[in-house]
Amino acid sequence: MRYDVIVLGAGQNGLAAAARLAGAGRRVVVLERRDEIGGLCAAREFHPGHRAPGVLHDEGLVDPAVAGRLGLERHGLAWRAAPPVLLAEEGGPGILLAVEPEAAAAELGRRSPADAAALGELRAWLARLAPAVRRLLAEPPPKLAPAGWGDLWRLARPALALRRLGRADLTELLRVAPMCVADFLNERFATALLVEGLAAPALSGTWAGPWSAGTTTFWLLAECAAGRFVEGGPPALAAALARAAQAAGAEIRTGAGVARIRVEGGRVAGVVLASGEALDAPVVVATCDPKRTLLELVAPGVLPLGVEEEARRIRSRGTAATIHLALDGPLELAGRPGERLEAIRIGGGHVDDLERAFDAIKYRAASSSPHLEVRVPTVADPALAPAGHEVVSILASFAPYELAGGWTEAARARFLDSALARLERHAPGVRSRIVAAELLVPPDLEAAFGATGGQLHQVEPALDQLFALRPCPGAARYATALAGLFLGGAGSHPGGGVRPTPGLLAADAVLAGSTRP
Amino acid sequence: MPIPSPFHERTRALCTSYRWKDWAGYAAVCSYDTSHDREYFAFRESAGLLDVSPLYKYEIHGPDAAALLSRMVVRDVGKLEIGRVAYVCWCDDRGKVVDDGTIARLGEDSFRMTAADPTYHWLLAVGRGLRATVEDSSARLAALALQGPRSRAILGEATGADLDGLKYFRITRARLDGLEVWVSRTGYTGDLGYEVWVERDGALAVWDALVAAGRRHGLEPAGLDALDVARIEAGFLLLGVDYYSAPKVVLESRKSTPDELGLGWMVDLERGPFVGRAAIAAERARPPAWSFVGLEVSWQALEALYESYGLPPALPATARRDGLPVYAGETQVGKATSHTWSPILKKYLVLATVEASRAARGTVLELEHTVEFERRRVAATVVATPFFDPERKRRP
Repeated sequence: MRYDVIVLGAGQNGLAAAARLAGAGRRVVVLERRDEIGGLCAAREFHPGHRAPGVLHDEGLVDPAVAGRLGLERHGLAWRAAPPVLLAEEGGPGILLAVEPEAAAAELGRRSPADAAALGELRAWLARLAPAVRRLLAEPPPKLAPAGWGDLWRLARPALALRRLGRADLTELLRVAPMCVADFLNERFATALLVEGLAAPALSGTWAGPWSAGTTTFWLLAECAAGRFVEGGPPALAAALARAAQAAGAEIRTGAGVARIRVEGGRVAGVVLASGEALDAPVVVATCDPKRTLLELVAPGVLPLGVEEEARRIRSRGTAATIHLALDGPLELAGRPGERLEAIRIGGGHVDDLERAFDAIKYRAASSSPHLEVRVPTVADPALAPAGHEVVSILASFAPYELAGGWTEAARARFLDSALARLERHAPGVRSRIVAAELLVPPDLEAAFGATGGQLHQVEPALDQLFALRPCPGAARYATALAGLFLGGAGSHPGGGVRPTPGLLAADAVLAGSTRP
Repeated sequence: MPIPSPFHERTRALCTSYRWKDWAGYAAVCSYDTSHDREYFAFRESAGLLDVSPLYKYEIHGPDAAALLSRMVVRDVGKLEIGRVAYVCWCDDRGKVVDDGTIARLGEDSFRMTAADPTYHWLLAVGRGLRATVEDSSARLAALALQGPRSRAILGEATGADLDGLKYFRITRARLDGLEVWVSRTGYTGDLGYEVWVERDGALAVWDALVAAGRRHGLEPAGLDALDVARIEAGFLLLGVDYYSAPKVVLESRKSTPDELGLGWMVDLERGPFVGRAAIAAERARPPAWSFVGLEVSWQALEALYESYGLPPALPATARRDGLPVYAGETQVGKATSHTWSPILKKYLVLATVEASRAARGTVLELEHTVEFERRRVAATVVATPFFDPERKRRP
């Protein structure tokens, strides 16, 4: 069978690439190793009748412009306001951090009027910053070695956008971007719980603690991109993408794992499936893990030695575990009796507790007091569980890919117990209501989703693995050194989290570089 | 501080000139006497014995050993038969030469490679994911080059082996003074010659056995000065002198493709991927910019030049590596990188890189030559290399 483009992976990025390419008239097939589409965004029935909406929590990152370009709203995508996040505290009501400024200020003002004012100022600064940052996250990264005026212009444009910030804002951006997020937030806030709670999302999936240099950059990127949530969560996004792709004529094949990318005459000729079936296409867009793509799907020796070296150096260590709980009653916090909360952040109450949770993985240990990013999807969508039941999805940080002694049954039980013990302190009695619990440590995530190291963002978010360095300098602009092979997964700019932009930008690169055969 | 080679105890006792240099971190003899003449003539008339232990040596083993080397170098090593040695070069991703050396196939899955520069990390980088192990045997193995017309007789007496069957660029196992050694018919002098490879513990015994067998054949220990003259006569490239290793230089103009170094004959594009293949293939779409050539300086012109100063012709006593401009008319068209007086040919020989359009045999160019602190030029003609190519080199 001959196609114009073969897309590897039917996750959000693969489907976005397919929708764009098929929409441009290309004959496209999407090959998915798993038996269902969606990848990390796929709903997961971890217990009969109980479904978790994927394993990614950062779902406010979907760029409305991307959804618009792919016509996702025509294919069922609907938006909703981002829910407030509770920064839970033991023996207290915690801080309910709303998106709306007035609500947030009122809540925080009860504890610290100064912090409430500081949060207002910080959010105002972010609002001024956001257009330039969003622009960076919507375009391909600039070429590191510009060739010609066009490249120079593309390189200069984001810089000009930042320049428009004005001297004070720009200076502040340059000052804080390399800082650690703990210093950055401690400068502004006195409330320890708030600092820890604000810092935590910047570290999701990274190999970094709040005292690691440069973490403010991750924080800024996440905060500036944060927007509305998708109704129905990541699975609804994947479904809309799949419908858009299929409506445009793309074929989606599940249960079709790819064994290798075929190369003839120095360029892509197609793929061979694990079943032995061969498919022909002059272009392959790989949205699966870039490290595996470059080092395993492409035979050694095909790519330049330098690119292989870069690919080997890509750091893809998983740092978090996913816990799915089925409860036979609602999750209720002692500090918030009777309230239905969708997003809860549970740490130790101080940013240093977050750092201690990170410390463990440096020494190949799992945190004994993991930080818990809790989602209760049944609050918004009760249909995910039988009547009266609750689904709880927790991202527990930090848990290493390589645990000293290995992820034995005992080690898993120990980690799950430490996470649940922490949850129990905030929600007394919750453990007795657990009907089923699933723990996915990084090796499980690797096995299930094919992401090297069980890294949720394919490539660790790190200063040297962002923008024009993501996933590696030699393949950062979607095209690779192998003619016809493009990368377009979360491991490419601006990937990571629920954000199908890389797939779309990879498709743009394919279309820019090739005329219709 | 250079360290002693496995033969140091012997070479030190013989080196009455105290002239040593650093070769790959080892103390190596430049010449045993104050002049290298006797050592040079041993290479050409009897036999010279040269310590080549400082060569970088690697053992590559495993089912994918041939695949690894084929991926690294421009030749298809898979085609190399057991017991044969191949002269090879290897390139970076952009098709620029990194180094040159030899690969000997010792067995189906077993190879020995020599290199001028440290190459371990390069072998590892190329070999990742392949079922092959790489050992740096540079320190473990001692090596002697026995080069010259009497080398076969000497080695035959020392080993009792029938060397008539060992053709040019072949390698075999042999016993020497009770020791297991490898003997290859290879060398850097362009003459009949052999190289003997032995575990370093056996180094002195091998030296002594060869010296004893060589006594009645006029064997002389020889140093690097004599070798340098011989290798220019043989037209052999020297890394760091005639060309530069691509990863070690910044300027693109200092990098060379195999074609530009005259090594294009060994490039095999019709096979699986190897490092630099795409770039070399693209490069071949247009003619190479540079050519590596031999030049022979006109003795009449040189004599006339000196005559104009009232002087007899004078040339350096040793091979020289100071680069000299090469001209065609008023335009510089290249650079001479190695030059020497050839005592056996009685000619002034030059290895040079010139614009490809000036590389045809018989083209008359000009070489800068300084007389009495004045930069002058002498005519030099492009000639075929090797300048010196005795029939005995390849004779069965």
